[in-house]
Amino acid sequence: MTTNKNEKFNAVTQLEEGACTVFLSGEMDLSVAPDFRLVMEPLVGDAGQDLIVNMKDLKYIDSTGIGILLSILKARHGMNASFTVEEVPPQIQKLFEMTGIAKFFAPQENSH
Amino acid sequence: MKADTQKVILNLPATAEFVDVVRLNLYGIASKMGFSYEDIEDMKVAVSEACNNSVLYAYGQNDGHIDVTFEIGEETLSITVEDEGESFETVKGGGEESTLHDKDLNDVQIGGLGFYLMQALMDDVSIENVAGQGTRVVMSKSLALSEERV
Repeated sequence: MTTNKNEKFNAVTQLEEGACTVFLSGEMDLSVAPDFRLVMEPLVGDAGQDLIVNMKDLKYIDSTGIGILLSILKARHGMNASFTVEEVPPQIQKLFEMTGIAKFFAPQENSH
Repeated sequence: MKADTQKVILNLPATAEFVDVVRLNLYGIASKMGFSYEDIEDMKVAVSEACNNSVLYAYGQNDGHIDVTFEIGEETLSITVEDEGESFETVKGGGEESTLHDKDLNDVQIGGLGFYLMQALMDDVSIENVAGQGTRVVMSKSLALSEERV
């Protein structure tokens, strides 16, 4: 069902040398969580590339979306591979800070 | 609550595809009442989380429905999300323990953030569940309180 074309979730993957950026747009909610997982799954396992999610055109995220980001963070952390978000809209950044996921996206010091 | 509260009632299939319909209705009602963009965004997340819980946990593999009632007072918007399915587990205490703030990435468990967000984003939230009869989440936000915070 498409209630509003502009809000429809989409994910576009862009590969560059050493980095993979996924551009999200529309509303990331429970109904599209399987689509988002499907896009991310093959990228998460590639430790040789930096993984970046661009949120510039993301209008909305719920706890399901935050949960997926968290599972990617855990997987990448376990592989010693990077996972970052960029151009996070203020409303979404607020949710990241409230839930506490924001600290895991903060630039990491090279502590070891 | 004022006696002349107006109501808008939605009855939707308990599937993920209809949660955005709840958000669209919320947007219409809350902007008519004069809520700020930021408050409307907060309410969108909170109401969606309540609906998500009904979609995910109320009916298992069976079909079911969700009732969403918007009660429009002069100063307060109250939203009730009800299902008639199996109850999901009540959040313990205030739900503060559900955040990731004190946790290391290795100790983080996925899930539980929805409850926390509901409570953090609304002025008031109450969750009632009766075994076998369903779950009822009532949440409200007041225009006056929102203005004071700014």
